[in-house]
Amino acid sequence: MSVDAMATVKQTFFQECEEQLAELEAGLLAIERGEAEPDTVNAVFRAVHSIKGGAGAFSLEELVQFAHVFETTLDHLRTGALEPSADVLGVMLRAADLLADLVVAARDGLAVDGERSDVLVAELNALSPGGAADAEAEEDDMSDFSFTPVTVAFDFSDSAADAGRSFTVSFKPKPELYAKGNETALVLRELERLGQMEIICDASDLPLLGELDPEGAYLEWAIKLTTEKGEDAIREVFEFVEWDCSLSIQADDAETGSTDDALAALLRSIQADETVVPVALPDAAPPPAIEEPDPSAAAAKTGAARNEPGAAAPQTIRADLERVDRLIDLVGELVINQAMLSQRVIEAGHVPGSAVAIGLDELEQLTREIQECVMAIRAQAVKSVFQRMPRLVREVAGMTGKSVRLITDGEGTEVDKTVIDRLTDPLTHMIRNAIDHGLEKPEVRVAAGKPAEGVVRLSAMHRSGRIVIEVADDGAGIDRQRVKALAAGKGLIAADAPLTDEEIDNLIFLPGFSTASEVSNISGRGVGMDVVKRSIQSLGGRLSIASRPGKGSTFTMSLPLTLAVLDGMVVTVADQTLVVPLTAIIETLQPKAADVHGLGGSARVIAIRDAFTPLVDIGRELDFRSAATDPLAGVAILVETEGGRRSALLVDTIQGQRQVVIKSLESNYRHVPGIAAATILGDGRVALILDVDAVIANSQSDVTNLEPVLAAAG
Amino acid sequence: MTAVTDPSQRILELAPVLDFRAATPLAEGLLAMRGTALTIDSSRVERIGGQCLQVLLSAKKTWSADDTALSFTNLTPTFIEGLRLLGIAEADFTREEMSE
Amino acid sequence: MSATILTVDDSRTMREMLKLALSQAGYRVIQAEDGVHGLEVLKGESPQVIVTDINMPRMDGFGFIEQVRSDAAYRGIPILVLTTESDAEKKDRARRAGATGWIVKPFDPAKLIDAIRRVAA
Repeated sequence: MSVDAMATVKQTFFQECEEQLAELEAGLLAIERGEAEPDTVNAVFRAVHSIKGGAGAFSLEELVQFAHVFETTLDHLRTGALEPSADVLGVMLRAADLLADLVVAARDGLAVDGERSDVLVAELNALSPGGAADAEAEEDDMSDFSFTPVTVAFDFSDSAADAGRSFTVSFKPKPELYAKGNETALVLRELERLGQMEIICDASDLPLLGELDPEGAYLEWAIKLTTEKGEDAIREVFEFVEWDCSLSIQADDAETGSTDDALAALLRSIQADETVVPVALPDAAPPPAIEEPDPSAAAAKTGAARNEPGAAAPQTIRADLERVDRLIDLVGELVINQAMLSQRVIEAGHVPGSAVAIGLDELEQLTREIQECVMAIRAQAVKSVFQRMPRLVREVAGMTGKSVRLITDGEGTEVDKTVIDRLTDPLTHMIRNAIDHGLEKPEVRVAAGKPAEGVVRLSAMHRSGRIVIEVADDGAGIDRQRVKALAAGKGLIAADAPLTDEEIDNLIFLPGFSTASEVSNISGRGVGMDVVKRSIQSLGGRLSIASRPGKGSTFTMSLPLTLAVLDGMVVTVADQTLVVPLTAIIETLQPKAADVHGLGGSARVIAIRDAFTPLVDIGRELDFRSAATDPLAGVAILVETEGGRRSALLVDTIQGQRQVVIKSLESNYRHVPGIAAATILGDGRVALILDVDAVIANSQSDVTNLEPVLAAAG
Repeated sequence: MTAVTDPSQRILELAPVLDFRAATPLAEGLLAMRGTALTIDSSRVERIGGQCLQVLLSAKKTWSADDTALSFTNLTPTFIEGLRLLGIAEADFTREEMSE
Repeated sequence: MSATILTVDDSRTMREMLKLALSQAGYRVIQAEDGVHGLEVLKGESPQVIVTDINMPRMDGFGFIEQVRSDAAYRGIPILVLTTESDAEKKDRARRAGATGWIVKPFDPAKLIDAIRRVAA
């Protein structure tokens, strides 16, 4: 097999390993919860068995050895010899984790922690009924396990090496031989490949046609074989049929005369039957190839499509991600092109309702559908991320001495692959945080009248065109006094700043709030929640927290379903075109003189239905101009940040709403504060997409300063 | 020697593939013609297995016991090769049974 | 036309390895993912040899062999089972279920082709 082809299969193997590992873990967890289906334990066994099988093919010995021990213990679970107790499942889950590590090590060519593997092998063996004795047998079994492919050549270096040894073979098939798809003619053909063969068919037991069972077996063959190969090679020819026939193989050790005598005796014994004649065979010439016209050829052709593998299950193809991305890019170009075409048509004076305009509307509809279909190709269930979390929870629970149950929900929720890929890190951190900081120690929980086991709930759902992922714990909730004291101690807020509960909770997202000295090495790893928030924001997402003392905290992140397109409102600010993501917008309004209040300096608020809302002058925030914009000449766009805080963005005019294709500014230019990305509009102009939360965060200091004033004003 | 001139002499054509699954139909076909002089046309045979060989050998034995003529014609090279592998000479099939 | 081999294995890796080895030896390969699927694929096909795994979801190798052997249309097809060296018991059970022969995993392509030649007419 070519190296390339094998490399491709190896890649498949590692992909499949990931699926099997997920299946393994999910199965073990289901068994642990007592929710196992009858086939679950078999599926778990098969997962490990498959990994072992593939690993063997690629000579990944450490993987094979551990998988073998694991499989053996799982087999006891499968047969019922081993009870699925909590302890047993604990060992198995850890074994599954190690197996996953071994797969990664094998894939990346890394070294494996032999000690950890030894410990688990011992634990697994200890679970096997019979314990140590069994474990020893296991070792033997493993040494039997062949890692190098078995050589098939009939080259046996035993006494048979001398040329031209003779053997007398007596072979009488049983009916079962034929019933299992074996065939005397093929066995004899194989035998002839070994050397020179004389063969006699003994039909003396054959009844007349009326008494004959056509699928019975009556004939016996006497064969004299002269071969350079040994008896083992002859036995190998009969390997598949030895239970289904009478067989004797005798080496003619004496001079050849005795063989002839034996053959002669055999001949005499069957001489009576006139249908049997000895046939002298020429030198082992291979039998002519037997060409079989295939009557099913036509059927095979017509049936091929229908009967291709996968016909039963939903059909899937594997496509290179680059191709899909290229397709998405092209569809993006198509959307832009279509928008530009629409613009030209309007500029050319075609009125809505004209044939050209209607045709264009239809084109727009089709373009949108194509885009949705293409996006769906990239969509993946969050399951692939969620299923990594049980292991994380076990590890963190083990390190913190807390008892934790992870409940996941909405694993099938789909989102673009780019989002999936970048979800793992923030989610990992949030779950670590929930266990380490959120949940209390078991004794504390019990003292507070809660179950000793804490619950972390991870859920995903679609909500108004976004995916919302929540990490909720039933721990103590945020200790607001402590958080506030910490923030004040770091100079992040004034010690006497009058903050609402929600504002205090949100302090944990401030850069510099958490530092390595305060976070334990579990949640921390040197990363604060501000980094988590920023990484989510960089995906166009929002992160918020809701906490209730004694009841727990819920972190909610909301992310766009795709990073490729965005529904936005196109606005003008200081002759620049900007796009405000529609998801952030609540409403737009024309500011009236009576509603706008100056607060000293440049800070202004606008009264919207009895509530004062900070007015953020986009032109100034983005340094498009230095002078303050006249609110009465512009338009205010009321937006809401993830924290629920409302702000009014002041822009010059609104051009309209449309879907835009997102072009990363960072990959084409560089990161610009307050700007999330760029897009190309129908008229070919580049427009910047506003990062609403960032713009508001930039004006955060003003806003914080506003609080007392607002309180006074309200 | 009467059978040689038997006017009711019939012809049976063997199937191309005389494997495990062909044995029962072949035995039934032959049994249906028992008692009549028979010529077995082997021109289409491509391969033969142990069980069809049994049927054919049993037929020879049966026709011989019945003192009826049975002959094989048009043996293909692959049929002859298949017989050879199973320890049967071509001559054994082409020899006229009634000579016994 | 080249002979057709049906491979039945729930492991994609194993299916790909089998396909690679068999197609390089000139065989046409059709595939199925488990016993139930194998029986579906068999309809409209007449492979010269079937190679099947034992441990599979829905219908395992034993069940699949029994089904094939009890179907007049397919019962003569030689069936090779994929087994591991240590599975003496499984090999025996497969044999009793009607398997023609076996291939020991991890298999050497030459050994696989050899086993197929030994059972294919």
